[in-house]
Amino acid sequence: MSSKSNLDRAGFLLFLLLAILPMAAGLLYAASYSVGLAGLLSEGFTWEYWGRPFQEGNQIFASFAFSLGVALAATAITLLVALLLVLTVRRSLDSGLLAHLSTIPLALPGTVLAFVILQWCSGSGIAARAAYALGLLQTPAQFPGIVNDQYGVGIIIAQVMVGVPFFALLFTQLWHSQRISQLMELAQTIGATRAQRAMRVAVPLLLHRAFPTVMLHLVAVIGVYEVPLLLGVQSPQMISVLTMRNYAMFDLQQKPEAFICAILYTLLSLLLIAIAWRRMHRMDHEQSA
Amino acid sequence: MSNQHRIFQNALVAAVGMLFAAPMLYLLLLSFAEGWTFPHLFPPRVSAGLWETMWGREQGLVGGLLLSILLSVVVAVGSTSVGFLAARYVSYHRWRRGLLFLSYIPFVMSPVVLGACIHVVFIRLGLVGTVAGVVIAQLMFALGFAVIFFVSFWNAERKSLEEAARMLGATTPQTYSRVLLPISRQPLLLCFLQTFLFSWFQYGLTLIIGGGKITTLPVLVYLYTGEANIYYAAGASILLMLPPLVMLWGNRAMAVRFGR
Repeated sequence: MSSKSNLDRAGFLLFLLLAILPMAAGLLYAASYSVGLAGLLSEGFTWEYWGRPFQEGNQIFASFAFSLGVALAATAITLLVALLLVLTVRRSLDSGLLAHLSTIPLALPGTVLAFVILQWCSGSGIAARAAYALGLLQTPAQFPGIVNDQYGVGIIIAQVMVGVPFFALLFTQLWHSQRISQLMELAQTIGATRAQRAMRVAVPLLLHRAFPTVMLHLVAVIGVYEVPLLLGVQSPQMISVLTMRNYAMFDLQQKPEAFICAILYTLLSLLLIAIAWRRMHRMDHEQSA
Repeated sequence: MSNQHRIFQNALVAAVGMLFAAPMLYLLLLSFAEGWTFPHLFPPRVSAGLWETMWGREQGLVGGLLLSILLSVVVAVGSTSVGFLAARYVSYHRWRRGLLFLSYIPFVMSPVVLGACIHVVFIRLGLVGTVAGVVIAQLMFALGFAVIFFVSFWNAERKSLEEAARMLGATTPQTYSRVLLPISRQPLLLCFLQTFLFSWFQYGLTLIIGGGKITTLPVLVYLYTGEANIYYAAGASILLMLPPLVMLWGNRAMAVRFGR
């Protein structure tokens, strides 16, 4: 058997045909459409559509800023909570009931997650009913809007809800593979306090090793669709919702904007993937050295 | 560990466990509730009525469930088998890094955004609104994951095993069937589970490429939510969550075994 058999070649060819080629063709079409070289509106090459994001009232840059802000906030809160959990209840996360319960949020599809958050956090939701039972409000309208709000609070809550168990489990695995317990013991023998051991040994090491996953998680949250579709507002919209809205509109004039969104999102994602990629390779070298 | 510290830890574990379990418990309660509106903190009445009527009256739910299972199994089998072979090719290729980077793009990027870009390609191929179209679109993303998953499997240890089999006179099919497949059972199953879940969870991509004609369970949950039919949405959500939960628990047990 040669190092690359015909079977492998066939598998790779199928991978190219089913995954890489359609993706490349789709992105090429999007790029062509955005410069007037494809689609029903096509009248030859033009940069006109690319000027639109800079026009007053256009939502594309606001949508990118909003998506990035929501993704950064959700990821920061997720990491903070997951780190606190791994520092306090790591043994329970490792085995036992909590280990099993932590998989429940991971089994929540985006549609279900959005539905649950809507039922909990809307004006007549469970949180509002608890506030009513405590005498804090009299009507649903008095409940602060934390879903379908300007700041994406509902979207952030939803992403934190699924992100925390994922990162808590990842950190627990890294704790073992990086032998953090032994390093913490070593730090203790040279006089480090509990807080110093956590802040100077465990947290930097966990964040360093998890960095590529954090970047990939950031890309995933920026592009999330189902959750903001139900929990977001008309403006600003998350980038995937805006792309779909522009794409699905009957007004063909909006289509180039959908493809501009898609291309800008692809470029941003490629940049973040490349950063994660570089770090992964640096870590591989560190490990093999 | 002091007594106080132990009590604090136990309380924290209980609270975190409750938070993790809360979505499932809430959906279960909602699926048995009647007239559970503001300001009731708990359902005023409970009944199994929804679970009795859901199957009979809502033919769409049974169809959606079966379609979701079919789609997910086809996507998982296709991406696992193709990814297994493609990853071997990528692993031993001189452009390994570049090819692997390519695999990360469909794996990480938003299926909806890329879905909007490939929509026209699928229209030209007559695949929009068909089950085959949705399968191919989902395969595009699941394959990226499968290749990344298996690339680390094809390491120097596997290569030396293959070489040993070849030296002993094994043909390519024999090397696969007698050497490689027996040692790959667990990773193959893990990859199958993960890609099954990817397809099982898909909403946006199914909606774009399915053109609203392919009504899977996630599409139904969204439909019920849009109609403010919260009890049906809860029932469909539980059906949607059960297979992933069973799989994730199985996956976890296997990953622990595989890790060892």
